[in-house]
Amino acid sequence: MTKHTRETKLSAAFVKLADTLVADFDVVDLLRWLVEECTQILDTQVGGLMLVDPAGELQLVASTSEDAELVEILQLAAGEGPCLDCFRTGKPVTVGDLSTANDWPEFSRGAMSHGFHSVHATPLRLRGDVIGTMNLFSVHVGELAPEDIAVAQALADVATIGILQERTIRSSHLISEQLQFALDSRILIEQAKGVLAATAGLNMDAAFNVIRTYARNHNQTLRSVADDVIARKIDLSQDALAKKSNG
Amino acid sequence: MATDPDLVPADGARTEPDLCHPFLQNLPITGASVTVVNASRSQHSVCSSDSIASRVDELQFEFGEGPQWKAVATGELVVVPDMAADLHGDWPIFWSEVRQLAVGALFAVPMRMGAVTVGAVTLYRSSPGDLSPEQRSSALAIGSAIASAAVHRAMRSALDDDEDESPTSPAFRREVHQATGMILAQLNTTATIAYSRLQAYAFAHGRHIQDVARDVVNRDLTFEE
Repeated sequence: MTKHTRETKLSAAFVKLADTLVADFDVVDLLRWLVEECTQILDTQVGGLMLVDPAGELQLVASTSEDAELVEILQLAAGEGPCLDCFRTGKPVTVGDLSTANDWPEFSRGAMSHGFHSVHATPLRLRGDVIGTMNLFSVHVGELAPEDIAVAQALADVATIGILQERTIRSSHLISEQLQFALDSRILIEQAKGVLAATAGLNMDAAFNVIRTYARNHNQTLRSVADDVIARKIDLSQDALAKKSNG
Repeated sequence: MATDPDLVPADGARTEPDLCHPFLQNLPITGASVTVVNASRSQHSVCSSDSIASRVDELQFEFGEGPQWKAVATGELVVVPDMAADLHGDWPIFWSEVRQLAVGALFAVPMRMGAVTVGAVTLYRSSPGDLSPEQRSSALAIGSAIASAAVHRAMRSALDDDEDESPTSPAFRREVHQATGMILAQLNTTATIAYSRLQAYAFAHGRHIQDVARDVVNRDLTFEE
Protein backbone atom coordinates (compact mmCIF):
# COMPACT_ATOMS: atom_id res chain seq x y z
CA MET A 1 0.00 0.00 0.00
CA THR A 2 1.41 3.44 -0.83
CA LYS A 3 2.01 5.85 1.96
CA HIS A 4 -0.72 8.16 0.80
CA THR A 5 -3.60 5.65 0.59
CA ARG A 6 -2.44 4.21 3.85
CA GLU A 7 -2.63 7.52 5.65
CA THR A 8 -6.02 8.19 4.14
CA LYS A 9 -7.23 4.81 5.35
CA LEU A 10 -5.77 5.38 8.76
CA SER A 11 -7.41 8.72 9.30
CA ALA A 12 -10.69 7.26 8.00
CA ALA A 13 -10.35 4.48 10.58
CA PHE A 14 -9.90 6.95 13.44
CA VAL A 15 -12.86 9.01 12.30
CA LYS A 16 -15.03 5.91 12.09
CA LEU A 17 -13.85 4.74 15.51
CA ALA A 18 -14.63 8.12 17.05
CA ASP A 19 -18.09 8.08 15.43
CA THR A 20 -18.79 4.59 16.65
CA LEU A 21 -17.85 5.35 20.21
CA VAL A 22 -20.40 8.11 20.62
CA ALA A 23 -23.26 6.01 19.23
CA ASP A 24 -24.89 2.88 20.57
CA PHE A 25 -22.48 0.26 19.33
CA ASP A 26 -22.04 -3.46 19.48
CA VAL A 27 -18.78 -4.53 21.10
CA VAL A 28 -18.25 -7.63 18.99
CA ASP A 29 -19.04 -5.76 15.79
CA LEU A 30 -16.63 -2.97 16.74
CA LEU A 31 -13.86 -5.43 17.47
CA ARG A 32 -14.44 -7.30 14.23
CA TRP A 33 -14.29 -4.04 12.33
CA LEU A 34 -11.10 -3.05 14.15
CA VAL A 35 -9.33 -6.28 13.35
CA GLU A 36 -10.41 -6.12 9.69
CA GLU A 37 -9.22 -2.54 9.42
CA CYS A 38 -5.86 -3.24 11.04
CA THR A 39 -5.35 -6.28 8.83
CA GLN A 40 -5.74 -4.04 5.76
CA ILE A 41 -3.80 -1.04 6.96
CA LEU A 42 -0.88 -3.15 8.11
CA ASP A 43 -0.90 -5.33 5.02
CA THR A 44 -1.54 -8.63 6.76
CA GLN A 45 -4.10 -11.27 5.72
CA VAL A 46 -6.01 -12.44 8.77
CA GLY A 47 -6.46 -11.40 12.36
CA GLY A 48 -8.22 -12.16 15.60
CA LEU A 49 -8.91 -10.35 18.81
CA MET A 50 -8.96 -12.05 22.19
CA LEU A 51 -10.27 -10.80 25.54
CA VAL A 52 -9.43 -12.23 28.93
CA ASP A 53 -12.21 -14.20 30.65
CA PRO A 54 -12.89 -14.55 34.40
CA ALA A 55 -10.63 -17.60 34.58
CA GLY A 56 -7.77 -15.46 33.23
CA GLU A 57 -7.76 -17.20 29.85
CA LEU A 58 -7.91 -15.56 26.45
CA GLN A 59 -11.13 -16.06 24.51
CA LEU A 60 -11.45 -15.28 20.84
CA VAL A 61 -14.09 -12.56 20.51
CA ALA A 62 -13.63 -11.31 16.94
CA SER A 63 -11.81 -12.44 13.82
CA THR A 64 -11.58 -11.52 10.15
CA SER A 65 -13.37 -14.79 9.32
CA GLU A 66 -15.27 -17.33 11.41
CA ASP A 67 -13.97 -20.16 9.29
CA ALA A 68 -13.35 -23.20 11.53
CA GLU A 69 -9.71 -23.63 10.51
CA LEU A 70 -8.80 -20.03 11.14
CA VAL A 71 -10.63 -20.09 14.47
CA GLU A 72 -8.59 -23.12 15.44
CA ILE A 73 -5.27 -21.38 14.75
CA LEU A 74 -6.44 -18.34 16.65
CA GLN A 75 -7.52 -20.48 19.59
CA LEU A 76 -4.16 -22.21 19.51
CA ALA A 77 -2.67 -18.77 19.96
CA ALA A 78 -4.54 -18.44 23.25
CA GLY A 79 -2.59 -21.40 24.63
CA GLU A 80 0.97 -20.55 23.61
CA GLY A 81 2.79 -18.18 21.32
CA PRO A 82 3.45 -14.49 20.77
CA CYS A 83 -0.16 -13.49 21.55
CA LEU A 84 0.01 -15.03 25.01
CA ASP A 85 3.42 -13.46 25.63
CA CYS A 86 2.01 -10.11 24.54
CA PHE A 87 -0.90 -10.52 26.95
CA ARG A 88 1.38 -11.49 29.84
CA THR A 89 3.89 -8.68 29.32
CA GLY A 90 1.49 -6.00 28.07
CA LYS A 91 3.96 -5.23 25.28
CA PRO A 92 3.66 -5.71 21.51
CA VAL A 93 5.36 -8.80 20.13
CA THR A 94 6.31 -9.12 16.48
CA VAL A 95 7.68 -12.36 15.02
CA GLY A 96 9.04 -11.83 11.52
CA ASP A 97 9.71 -15.46 10.71
CA LEU A 98 7.85 -18.27 12.45
CA SER A 99 10.17 -20.92 11.03
CA THR A 100 12.94 -19.65 13.30
CA ALA A 101 10.69 -19.09 16.33
CA ASN A 102 11.58 -22.03 18.55
CA ASP A 103 9.80 -20.88 21.69
CA TRP A 104 6.33 -22.04 20.63
CA PRO A 105 6.64 -25.20 18.52
CA GLU A 106 2.95 -26.14 18.47
CA PHE A 107 1.74 -22.65 17.64
CA SER A 108 4.41 -22.06 14.96
CA ARG A 109 3.71 -25.40 13.31
CA GLY A 110 -0.05 -24.78 13.32
CA ALA A 111 0.27 -21.28 11.86
CA MET A 112 2.80 -22.33 9.21
CA SER A 113 0.73 -25.32 8.15
CA HIS A 114 -1.90 -22.76 7.12
CA GLY A 115 0.61 -20.70 5.19
CA PHE A 116 1.37 -17.97 7.75
CA HIS A 117 4.95 -16.89 8.26
CA SER A 118 4.79 -13.89 10.55
CA VAL A 119 2.56 -12.73 13.38
CA HIS A 120 2.13 -9.48 15.26
CA ALA A 121 0.45 -9.17 18.63
CA THR A 122 -0.75 -5.85 20.07
CA PRO A 123 -1.93 -5.57 23.68
CA LEU A 124 -5.32 -4.07 24.57
CA ARG A 125 -4.54 -2.17 27.70
CA LEU A 126 -5.90 0.45 29.96
CA ARG A 127 -3.56 1.97 32.52
CA GLY A 128 -2.00 -1.04 34.21
CA ASP A 129 -4.55 -3.60 33.02
CA VAL A 130 -4.20 -5.74 29.94
CA ILE A 131 -7.63 -6.95 28.84
CA GLY A 132 -6.68 -8.85 25.68
CA THR A 133 -4.64 -8.86 22.49
CA MET A 134 -5.10 -8.22 18.80
CA ASN A 135 -3.20 -10.66 16.60
CA LEU A 136 -2.43 -10.16 12.92
CA PHE A 137 -1.09 -12.95 10.72
CA SER A 138 0.78 -12.55 7.46
CA VAL A 139 1.72 -14.99 4.71
CA HIS A 140 4.93 -13.01 4.21
CA VAL A 141 8.14 -13.06 6.22
CA GLY A 142 9.06 -9.79 7.91
CA GLU A 143 8.68 -7.83 11.13
CA LEU A 144 6.33 -4.89 11.51
CA ALA A 145 8.07 -1.55 11.29
CA PRO A 146 8.06 0.53 14.48
CA GLU A 147 5.58 3.03 12.96
CA ASP A 148 3.22 0.15 12.06
CA ILE A 149 3.43 -1.17 15.61
CA ALA A 150 2.52 2.31 16.83
CA VAL A 151 -0.46 2.49 14.44
CA ALA A 152 -1.80 -0.87 15.65
CA GLN A 153 -1.33 0.22 19.24
CA ALA A 154 -3.13 3.51 18.72
CA LEU A 155 -6.16 1.81 17.15
CA ALA A 156 -6.19 -0.84 19.87
CA ASP A 157 -6.02 1.82 22.60
CA VAL A 158 -9.02 3.69 21.23
CA ALA A 159 -10.98 0.44 20.92
CA THR A 160 -10.12 -0.48 24.50
CA ILE A 161 -11.52 2.79 25.73
CA GLY A 162 -14.61 1.95 23.66
CA ILE A 163 -15.07 -1.44 25.29
CA LEU A 164 -14.74 -0.02 28.74
CA GLN A 165 -16.50 3.29 28.33
CA GLU A 166 -20.12 2.32 28.93
CA ARG A 167 -19.73 2.92 32.60
CA THR A 168 -17.43 5.25 34.41
CA ILE A 169 -14.32 3.29 35.07
CA ARG A 170 -13.98 3.35 38.80
CA SER A 171 -12.51 0.00 39.66
CA SER A 172 -11.16 -3.17 38.15
CA HIS A 173 -14.46 -4.78 39.07
CA LEU A 174 -16.40 -2.56 36.67
CA ILE A 175 -13.84 -3.19 33.98
CA SER A 176 -14.49 -6.89 34.24
CA GLU A 177 -18.25 -6.30 34.08
CA GLN A 178 -17.81 -4.78 30.61
CA LEU A 179 -15.50 -7.58 29.60
CA GLN A 180 -18.09 -10.07 30.75
CA PHE A 181 -20.67 -8.37 28.54
CA ALA A 182 -18.40 -8.77 25.50
CA LEU A 183 -17.70 -12.42 26.31
CA ASP A 184 -21.43 -13.09 26.79
CA SER A 185 -22.18 -11.48 23.42
CA ARG A 186 -19.79 -13.88 21.82
CA ILE A 187 -21.52 -16.92 23.39
CA LEU A 188 -24.92 -15.67 22.18
CA ILE A 189 -23.53 -15.24 18.67
CA GLU A 190 -22.17 -18.80 18.70
CA GLN A 191 -25.55 -20.14 19.81
CA ALA A 192 -27.31 -18.15 17.08
CA LYS A 193 -24.81 -19.42 14.48
CA GLY A 194 -25.76 -22.94 15.59
CA VAL A 195 -29.45 -22.20 15.01
CA LEU A 196 -28.68 -21.05 11.47
CA ALA A 197 -26.36 -23.97 10.83
CA ALA A 198 -29.25 -26.30 11.66
CA THR A 199 -32.09 -24.42 9.95
CA ALA A 200 -30.28 -23.31 6.79
CA GLY A 201 -27.46 -25.83 6.55
CA LEU A 202 -24.76 -23.14 6.64
CA ASN A 203 -21.21 -23.40 7.86
CA MET A 204 -20.29 -21.21 10.84
CA ASP A 205 -18.64 -18.43 8.84
CA ALA A 206 -21.63 -18.09 6.50
CA ALA A 207 -23.99 -18.15 9.49
CA PHE A 208 -22.10 -15.28 11.07
CA ASN A 209 -22.27 -13.24 7.88
CA VAL A 210 -26.04 -13.69 7.65
CA ILE A 211 -26.41 -12.44 11.22
CA ARG A 212 -24.12 -9.50 10.58
CA THR A 213 -25.83 -8.51 7.34
CA TYR A 214 -29.24 -8.61 9.02
CA ALA A 215 -27.94 -6.55 11.94
CA ARG A 216 -26.57 -3.89 9.59
CA ASN A 217 -29.65 -3.77 7.35
CA HIS A 218 -31.95 -3.42 10.35
CA ASN A 219 -29.67 -1.16 12.33
CA GLN A 220 -29.52 -3.58 15.25
CA THR A 221 -26.64 -4.89 17.31
CA LEU A 222 -25.25 -8.37 16.68
CA ARG A 223 -26.21 -9.24 20.22
CA SER A 224 -29.87 -8.36 19.82
CA VAL A 225 -30.14 -10.17 16.48
CA ALA A 226 -28.48 -13.23 18.07
CA ASP A 227 -30.99 -13.03 20.93
CA ASP A 228 -33.92 -12.96 18.50
CA VAL A 229 -32.55 -15.83 16.42
CA ILE A 230 -32.13 -18.00 19.52
CA ALA A 231 -35.62 -17.10 20.81
CA ARG A 232 -36.93 -17.92 17.30
CA LYS A 233 -38.45 -14.45 17.04
CA ILE A 234 -36.83 -14.01 13.66
CA ASP A 235 -36.04 -16.66 11.10
CA LEU A 236 -32.99 -15.83 9.02
CA SER A 237 -32.92 -19.11 7.12
CA GLN A 238 -34.61 -17.43 4.13
CA ASP A 239 -32.00 -14.64 4.14
CA ALA A 240 -29.40 -17.35 4.36
CA LEU A 241 -30.77 -19.28 1.40
CA ALA A 242 -30.99 -16.11 -0.66
CA LYS A 243 -27.39 -15.33 0.18
CA LYS A 244 -26.34 -18.86 -0.65
CA SER A 245 -27.90 -18.76 -4.11
CA ASN A 246 -26.29 -15.40 -4.80
CA GLY A 247 -23.00 -17.14 -4.19
CA MET B 1 -37.80 -33.97 40.73
CA ALA B 2 -34.82 -36.28 40.59
CA THR B 3 -31.39 -36.12 42.05
CA ASP B 4 -28.53 -38.46 42.52
CA PRO B 5 -27.93 -38.66 46.29
CA ASP B 6 -24.22 -38.90 45.62
CA LEU B 7 -24.30 -35.46 44.07
CA VAL B 8 -25.58 -33.78 47.20
CA PRO B 9 -23.32 -34.51 50.17
CA ALA B 10 -24.92 -34.98 53.59
CA ASP B 11 -24.06 -31.45 54.70
CA GLY B 12 -25.98 -30.11 51.73
CA ALA B 13 -23.09 -28.39 50.04
CA ARG B 14 -19.46 -28.80 49.24
CA THR B 15 -17.11 -26.47 50.99
CA GLU B 16 -15.47 -24.77 48.01
CA PRO B 17 -16.07 -21.13 48.82
CA ASP B 18 -14.29 -19.47 45.90
CA LEU B 19 -17.30 -19.13 43.57
CA CYS B 20 -19.31 -17.49 46.36
CA HIS B 21 -16.51 -15.10 47.15
CA PRO B 22 -17.02 -12.52 44.36
CA PHE B 23 -20.62 -12.00 45.51
CA LEU B 24 -19.59 -11.56 49.14
CA GLN B 25 -16.83 -9.21 48.14
CA ASN B 26 -18.87 -6.95 45.87
CA LEU B 27 -22.42 -6.92 47.26
CA PRO B 28 -23.99 -5.98 50.61
CA ILE B 29 -25.02 -9.53 51.45
CA THR B 30 -24.38 -11.98 54.27
CA GLY B 31 -24.12 -15.30 52.50
CA ALA B 32 -24.34 -17.06 49.13
CA SER B 33 -24.88 -20.52 47.68
CA VAL B 34 -24.21 -21.60 44.11
CA THR B 35 -26.40 -24.30 42.55
CA VAL B 36 -26.29 -25.86 39.11
CA VAL B 37 -29.66 -27.06 37.86
CA ASN B 38 -30.65 -28.82 34.68
CA ALA B 39 -33.88 -28.89 32.75
CA SER B 40 -35.19 -31.94 34.61
CA ARG B 41 -34.79 -29.88 37.77
CA SER B 42 -32.07 -32.04 39.23
CA GLN B 43 -29.80 -29.93 41.34
CA HIS B 44 -26.15 -29.89 42.24
CA SER B 45 -24.93 -27.69 45.07
CA VAL B 46 -21.53 -26.34 44.14
CA CYS B 47 -20.74 -24.26 47.22
CA SER B 48 -22.23 -22.33 50.14
CA SER B 49 -20.54 -19.63 52.16
CA ASP B 50 -22.16 -20.46 55.51
CA SER B 51 -24.66 -22.78 57.19
CA ILE B 52 -27.69 -20.50 56.67
CA ALA B 53 -26.92 -20.15 52.95
CA SER B 54 -26.55 -23.90 52.79
CA ARG B 55 -29.89 -24.41 54.60
CA VAL B 56 -31.72 -21.99 52.26
CA ASP B 57 -30.31 -23.91 49.32
CA GLU B 58 -31.41 -27.22 50.86
CA LEU B 59 -34.95 -25.95 51.50
CA GLN B 60 -35.36 -24.82 47.92
CA PHE B 61 -34.29 -28.24 46.76
CA GLU B 62 -36.46 -30.09 49.29
CA PHE B 63 -39.68 -28.22 48.54
CA GLY B 64 -39.01 -27.49 44.88
CA GLU B 65 -39.89 -23.85 45.44
CA GLY B 66 -38.10 -20.60 46.22
CA PRO B 67 -36.46 -17.73 44.33
CA GLN B 68 -33.77 -19.96 42.84
CA TRP B 69 -36.35 -21.81 40.73
CA LYS B 70 -37.85 -18.59 39.50
CA ALA B 71 -34.41 -17.26 38.52
CA VAL B 72 -33.69 -20.48 36.63
CA ALA B 73 -37.07 -20.46 34.88
CA THR B 74 -36.98 -16.80 33.84
CA GLY B 75 -33.24 -16.14 33.50
CA GLU B 76 -33.91 -12.92 35.47
CA LEU B 77 -32.75 -11.63 38.82
CA VAL B 78 -35.28 -12.31 41.62
CA VAL B 79 -35.35 -9.87 44.54
CA VAL B 80 -37.08 -10.19 47.90
CA PRO B 81 -35.72 -7.15 49.76
CA ASP B 82 -37.81 -7.75 52.88
CA MET B 83 -38.81 -11.27 53.80
CA ALA B 84 -41.26 -10.02 56.44
CA ALA B 85 -43.14 -7.92 53.86
CA ASP B 86 -43.12 -10.56 51.16
CA LEU B 87 -46.53 -11.91 50.25
CA HIS B 88 -45.01 -15.39 49.99
CA GLY B 89 -47.68 -16.36 47.51
CA ASP B 90 -45.11 -17.87 45.18
CA TRP B 91 -43.41 -20.10 47.71
CA PRO B 92 -45.60 -20.72 50.80
CA ILE B 93 -43.82 -23.75 52.26
CA PHE B 94 -40.34 -22.48 51.60
CA TRP B 95 -41.26 -19.10 53.11
CA SER B 96 -42.59 -20.61 56.31
CA GLU B 97 -39.34 -22.50 56.81
CA VAL B 98 -37.01 -19.64 55.89
CA ARG B 99 -38.69 -17.21 58.30
CA GLN B 100 -37.31 -19.34 61.13
CA LEU B 101 -33.79 -18.51 59.95
CA ALA B 102 -31.95 -15.21 60.34
CA VAL B 103 -32.82 -14.13 56.80
CA GLY B 104 -33.99 -10.55 56.17
CA ALA B 105 -33.71 -10.43 52.38
CA LEU B 106 -33.20 -12.94 49.57
CA PHE B 107 -31.94 -12.60 45.99
CA ALA B 108 -31.55 -15.21 43.30
CA VAL B 109 -29.10 -14.54 40.47
CA PRO B 110 -29.33 -16.65 37.30
CA MET B 111 -26.07 -18.12 36.02
CA ARG B 112 -26.18 -17.65 32.26
CA MET B 113 -24.03 -18.82 29.38
CA GLY B 114 -25.46 -16.86 26.49
CA ALA B 115 -29.14 -17.85 26.27
CA VAL B 116 -28.67 -20.90 28.50
CA THR B 117 -29.41 -20.68 32.23
CA VAL B 118 -27.27 -23.27 33.98
CA GLY B 119 -28.31 -22.59 37.56
CA ALA B 120 -28.68 -19.85 40.14
CA VAL B 121 -26.89 -18.23 43.03
CA THR B 122 -29.04 -17.57 46.09
CA LEU B 123 -27.88 -14.60 48.16
CA TYR B 124 -29.21 -13.69 51.58
CA ARG B 125 -28.93 -10.73 53.93
CA SER B 126 -29.41 -11.12 57.67
CA SER B 127 -31.35 -7.82 57.68
CA PRO B 128 -33.83 -6.46 55.10
CA GLY B 129 -32.37 -4.32 52.30
CA ASP B 130 -32.41 -4.01 48.54
CA LEU B 131 -29.67 -3.98 45.89
CA SER B 132 -29.08 -0.75 43.95
CA PRO B 133 -29.35 -0.84 40.13
CA GLU B 134 -25.53 -0.94 39.90
CA GLN B 135 -25.38 -3.78 42.40
CA ARG B 136 -28.04 -5.68 40.48
CA SER B 137 -26.11 -5.42 37.27
CA SER B 138 -22.92 -6.45 39.09
CA ALA B 139 -24.75 -9.47 40.51
CA LEU B 140 -25.84 -10.53 37.01
CA ALA B 141 -22.34 -10.01 35.58
CA ILE B 142 -20.77 -12.10 38.35
CA GLY B 143 -23.43 -14.77 37.78
CA SER B 144 -22.41 -14.99 34.11
CA ALA B 145 -18.74 -14.84 34.97
CA ILE B 146 -18.88 -17.93 37.22
CA ALA B 147 -21.42 -19.92 35.15
CA SER B 148 -19.02 -22.04 33.14
CA ALA B 149 -16.79 -22.73 36.15
CA ALA B 150 -19.81 -23.79 38.22
CA VAL B 151 -21.23 -26.11 35.58
CA HIS B 152 -17.80 -27.55 34.91
CA ARG B 153 -17.33 -28.31 38.58
CA ALA B 154 -20.75 -29.92 38.83
CA MET B 155 -20.11 -32.03 35.76
CA ARG B 156 -16.70 -33.08 36.91
CA SER B 157 -18.02 -34.33 40.18
CA ALA B 158 -21.03 -35.99 38.51
CA LEU B 159 -18.72 -37.87 36.13
CA ASP B 160 -16.26 -38.49 38.96
CA ASP B 161 -13.69 -37.09 36.59
CA ASP B 162 -10.40 -36.04 38.13
CA GLU B 163 -8.97 -34.55 34.99
CA ASP B 164 -7.52 -31.24 35.89
CA GLU B 165 -8.95 -29.11 33.13
CA SER B 166 -9.31 -25.41 33.51
CA PRO B 167 -12.95 -24.36 33.82
CA THR B 168 -13.24 -22.70 30.44
CA SER B 169 -11.11 -24.80 28.17
CA PRO B 170 -11.56 -26.92 26.32
CA ALA B 171 -14.99 -27.78 27.72
CA PHE B 172 -16.63 -24.53 26.74
CA ARG B 173 -15.06 -23.76 23.45
CA ARG B 174 -17.21 -22.52 20.65
CA GLU B 175 -18.50 -25.93 19.54
CA VAL B 176 -20.51 -26.35 22.73
CA HIS B 177 -22.39 -23.11 22.14
CA GLN B 178 -22.81 -23.81 18.43
CA ALA B 179 -24.12 -27.32 19.16
CA THR B 180 -26.57 -25.85 21.69
CA GLY B 181 -27.96 -23.61 18.95
CA MET B 182 -28.21 -26.49 16.49
CA ILE B 183 -30.00 -28.73 19.00
CA LEU B 184 -32.46 -26.01 19.99
CA ALA B 185 -33.44 -25.67 16.32
CA GLN B 186 -33.59 -29.44 15.80
CA LEU B 187 -35.86 -29.94 18.80
CA ASN B 188 -37.65 -26.62 18.47
CA THR B 189 -37.00 -25.87 22.12
CA THR B 190 -35.17 -23.37 24.34
CA ALA B 191 -31.42 -22.93 24.63
CA THR B 192 -31.50 -24.13 28.24
CA ILE B 193 -33.24 -27.38 27.37
CA ALA B 194 -31.03 -27.91 24.31
CA TYR B 195 -27.93 -27.52 26.47
CA SER B 196 -29.37 -29.97 29.01
CA ARG B 197 -29.96 -32.52 26.29
CA LEU B 198 -26.40 -32.15 25.06
CA GLN B 199 -25.11 -32.57 28.58
CA ALA B 200 -27.38 -35.57 29.26
CA TYR B 201 -26.25 -37.25 26.05
CA ALA B 202 -22.60 -36.79 26.97
CA PHE B 203 -23.25 -38.08 30.47
CA ALA B 204 -25.22 -41.13 29.29
CA HIS B 205 -22.46 -42.07 26.85
CA GLY B 206 -19.59 -41.35 29.23
CA ARG B 207 -18.16 -38.77 26.82
CA HIS B 208 -16.95 -35.22 27.23
CA ILE B 209 -19.45 -32.56 26.26
CA GLN B 210 -17.09 -30.91 23.76
CA ASP B 211 -16.60 -34.22 21.91
CA VAL B 212 -20.33 -34.68 21.55
CA ALA B 213 -20.67 -31.01 20.56
CA ARG B 214 -18.10 -31.46 17.81
CA ASP B 215 -20.12 -34.40 16.41
CA VAL B 216 -23.23 -32.21 16.37
CA VAL B 217 -21.41 -29.35 14.62
CA ASN B 218 -19.90 -31.75 12.07
CA ARG B 219 -23.40 -33.14 11.49
CA ASP B 220 -22.42 -36.64 12.56
CA LEU B 221 -25.01 -36.55 15.32
CA THR B 222 -28.47 -35.01 15.26
CA PHE B 223 -31.08 -34.64 17.99
CA GLU B 224 -34.00 -34.45 15.55
CA GLU B 225 -36.92 -36.63 16.61
